[in-house]
Amino acid sequence: MRILAVAHNTFREAVRDKVLYVLVFFALATLLGSKALGWISIGQEIKIVIDFSLAAVSVFGVLIAIFVGTSLVYKEIDKRTIYTIICRPMSRYEFVLGKYVGMAALLGVVTAVMGISGAAYVTMLGGTVDVTYIYAVILTYWELLMVTAFATLFSSLTSPILGAIIVFSIYVVGHATTILIDLPAHFDGTTSKKVLEIIYYIVPNFSNFNIRAEAANNVAVSFDYVIWAMAYGTVYTAMLLVLAAIAFENKDV
Amino acid sequence: MDAIETKNLSKTYRAQYGRRPPPSLVGLDLIVAENEVFGFLGRNGAGKTTTIKLLCGLIRPTRGDARIFGEDSKRKESRRLIGYLPENPYFYEYLTPRETLDFYGKLHGLSAAAREAEWKKLSELLDLKSIADQRVRGFSKGMRQRLGFAVALVGDPKLLVLDEPMSGLDPLGRRAIRELILRMRDEKKTIFFSSHVLGDVEQICDRVGILVKGKLTRHGRIEELLTEKITKVEIIASGLNGAAIGEVKNLGTSMRVSEAGHHFIMPDLPTANLAVRTIHKHDGQLVDFAAVKESLEDYFMRAQEAQS
Repeated sequence: MRILAVAHNTFREAVRDKVLYVLVFFALATLLGSKALGWISIGQEIKIVIDFSLAAVSVFGVLIAIFVGTSLVYKEIDKRTIYTIICRPMSRYEFVLGKYVGMAALLGVVTAVMGISGAAYVTMLGGTVDVTYIYAVILTYWELLMVTAFATLFSSLTSPILGAIIVFSIYVVGHATTILIDLPAHFDGTTSKKVLEIIYYIVPNFSNFNIRAEAANNVAVSFDYVIWAMAYGTVYTAMLLVLAAIAFENKDV
Repeated sequence: MDAIETKNLSKTYRAQYGRRPPPSLVGLDLIVAENEVFGFLGRNGAGKTTTIKLLCGLIRPTRGDARIFGEDSKRKESRRLIGYLPENPYFYEYLTPRETLDFYGKLHGLSAAAREAEWKKLSELLDLKSIADQRVRGFSKGMRQRLGFAVALVGDPKLLVLDEPMSGLDPLGRRAIRELILRMRDEKKTIFFSSHVLGDVEQICDRVGILVKGKLTRHGRIEELLTEKITKVEIIASGLNGAAIGEVKNLGTSMRVSEAGHHFIMPDLPTANLAVRTIHKHDGQLVDFAAVKESLEDYFMRAQEAQS
């Protein structure tokens, strides 16, 4: 009940703070961007529009997740709204989880609206979207949930600017984890290789959630793969939220 | 059972850039009885807000503990009994008072019907109905304070902890808060509040405590703390000639002139009586004679000076 109350409030504040205006930018960017790319890719327009729409869902979603997410808890402390909240008969983890769930709901709406409008635009141009498109949107959302969990953790620990830089770095590295393991032969047996291997296993592998190329090229993706990627994201997110709750438990506000 | 009991409650904030700040609160031992109005006094930075934050579970003590009606203040159960009004309360700017109270009602675990009943009761008590559906964003200081008080009262807490509730309010606003505190006392609530406005504290508190540099230096009932001793006597006289004015002035510590006549300040009662005889001797008229006893402000200043 308390988690939902905090979540509802977080969602409502974000909506009234006009965060959803980003959807208007999305619509315009997708329309203009895919039109422009369509002109230079004769016969490939539908493919380009699908690819571009899915990329836009990811980019706008990540921007919201990082910039709104890293100030989620910090803003409450900075603006002192937290004083009258955590002096209630509630546990601190309920507050952190509530903030996270509210943000997840906001991103859910953003992703759904962007995904549906992308599909509608493709249909309007005479193309069709298959189940892989839906999978691609769902996995993008799961990726956003994970990025938001990172943002929530750093929001409990540090300032929004530093948090945003750290989360953005994790996001970039998380999309290129294979370079940490596919090292040239002369790295064999070195300490560097071992360190990079450890980093490889710690850093989240965001590529697991990227099936946008498959969606654009009508390449089938198995349901099992989608479930596996979601399970990976869920476990990772849960661990991050536990860490965020621990970080916030004894914090002086 | 005591409403508040602290034992050796101490707080030192974490070091910043390698420099550890001085302790904000040192070994606070304090008891506030149920249905008491307790005024917590001290200069800025004396540790008043730190104490309040410790009582409300916002920060963790470095040493010692605090109990609210016997419950450890670190446990969330203790906070069911506390209504907290921070200094300059901040709320979600995009919410309305009705939504704000509903939100806090949910955090308190109240049902929808109970939240509706709370709104009816508190909006009437704090005159929120006319601004029920306006967003907090454009609210004045007084409106925010009223909303803050309503938020503190959600869930009908037995203990109200108010941090500078009169700060920044105009005389009408201060009076409203003062009356509200007295009304809460009549409703058998315990009130613990910090304030700079010593006159207000003197009017409504049963007991006071004075913090100086993180240490509770004095506490007790106001009438026990303030001496009955007359600290000065103010005399106003008219119709005096120059020589008479000089003679009376020499007896006292200061003099000023107003429409009412000459105001003389005498250090004690015997000197004041001598001054009155002098005035009569010179055919002057005694307009006023006022013996001034120690005020809470005088006592507060004395406590500060003794410590420094």
